[in-house]
Amino acid sequence: MTVATEPRAQANSAHVVPLASSAAFGAFAIVFAIAGPIVYVVSELGGVPLFTYHPGTGRIDFGFAAARPNEGPAMYWYGWLATTLIGASLVGLIATLLPRNVTAKIPLFLIWLLPLLVLPILAYALMPFWTR
Amino acid sequence: MFEFISLNTFWTILLIAHGLLAVATLGALTHQAMAVTAPARQPATSFGFVTRFRNVRGAGYATAICVLWVATFILGAWIYTKYRIAIRIPLERTGYFKTLGFFELKEHAAALGLWMLPAYWYFWQNAKNPAYDAARKWITVLLAAMCWFAFLTGHVLNNVRGFG
Repeated sequence: MTVATEPRAQANSAHVVPLASSAAFGAFAIVFAIAGPIVYVVSELGGVPLFTYHPGTGRIDFGFAAARPNEGPAMYWYGWLATTLIGASLVGLIATLLPRNVTAKIPLFLIWLLPLLVLPILAYALMPFWTR
Repeated sequence: MFEFISLNTFWTILLIAHGLLAVATLGALTHQAMAVTAPARQPATSFGFVTRFRNVRGAGYATAICVLWVATFILGAWIYTKYRIAIRIPLERTGYFKTLGFFELKEHAAALGLWMLPAYWYFWQNAKNPAYDAARKWITVLLAAMCWFAFLTGHVLNNVRGFG
């Protein structure tokens, strides 16, 4: 029985690719990192959080919901995170289906440049804090 | 649990844990960023503090930094619910709007860093691939800068008004 299962175990282990050397994971990680800031800033500026959290009451509303009278503030940051996590993951997963010669052409500098470009936009969106 | 500690003590413990995790992330990222931007040319056996500081194997830090960033982020996100009621509203009433603005910007910076982590980890696991050298270097530097910004902003806000 041991002899019979050994080749199968070896065959199975031959198909296991460590995450660090997986080209598919590399494509996912690169595209996720590029899509992340874009989806995040669109979610923030477009007002499309996946959900709204009301910390005063613990209430969670789907999508964008304004703060209710006498119930304290509404928080959208968690909803922006959830929107980005799902959106960027979907784009990243689609990238794993692309041929390797296509994903190899993705400019890697976008991974660090996009967050740098997005930060001033997000700072501008916080204008009420800077002008009061 | 609240039979043994007060609610304020609970949030203070969480905040201290968040701060300690942030210090660990900051230290590891600063070592790594120094190593990748100004690598030491000789083994640091008899050289000064700065040479020793930057003479580390950056790849060995990557997984720990990812874990620390995520752990710090989760704790910070939890504390953020309490901050929104107990800290931000009193600071709005006393007119600390720029401090609050910087804190909101810090939350954005921490989130933007989060999206880079899978690529950052992947590039450091493939540190011998020269195709990733430039991206690995600048992502590490940017993460270190974001971490310093987040740490200092959080520290200042805690000085202005902490829990308790």
